[in-house]
Amino acid sequence: MFRVALLRSARQAIRAAPRCQTPIARPVARSSLFQPKQITPAAYFQGVRCYSASVDLSKDEVQGRIMDLLKNFDKVQDTSKLTGDSHFHNDLGLDSLDTVEVVMAIEEEFSIEIPDKEADAIHSVKQAVDYILAQPDAH
Amino acid sequence: MARSGLQRDVLSLYRQCMRAVREKPAETRENFRSFARTGFRDHITVNKKDFSTIEYLLRKGRRQLEIYQDPGIRNISK
Repeated sequence: MFRVALLRSARQAIRAAPRCQTPIARPVARSSLFQPKQITPAAYFQGVRCYSASVDLSKDEVQGRIMDLLKNFDKVQDTSKLTGDSHFHNDLGLDSLDTVEVVMAIEEEFSIEIPDKEADAIHSVKQAVDYILAQPDAH
Repeated sequence: MARSGLQRDVLSLYRQCMRAVREKPAETRENFRSFARTGFRDHITVNKKDFSTIEYLLRKGRRQLEIYQDPGIRNISK
């Protein structure tokens, strides 16, 4: 009597298990085709994690947003010289104080905080784009 | 462009000022921004070798920043 009940519940558990596991297991099964050796518990949960996934900014989008910001900056008079490679001082005629303001505006645009040391190293549109792309929490 | 320590101090103070501007109410933020801008621009002609003047201005600027940072100050004349 007891054995029958045990067997029956075991059979039910086996039948129920794959049903609730499929949504989780599917991505893992797919990725296991490519990298069978790297399956760890952490990778197991990545399949169902979708809320806090980092937003990947494309290079074009970052560049476009920085250029828009510079276009609206009142100290940039000659917008025709504004390209993806423009240097803040040599091409756009901004001095060091203006550069600080531009970098601060970039901070606000991408909601990050750039430490002084790194902010001092940004002198061109390209450097700014590269810096933003290297920041995981920029968005 | 290599910068001297003093130059970096000036830029750092400018950055601090701009950060402080962000804490001010949105409608008066521009007044604070232009106040900080002119505070620095007025002395843009100071010779970069004139250390004592620059240091004096830095001290003065820091003290002003400290005063105007107070959240009780909500507006500033242009």
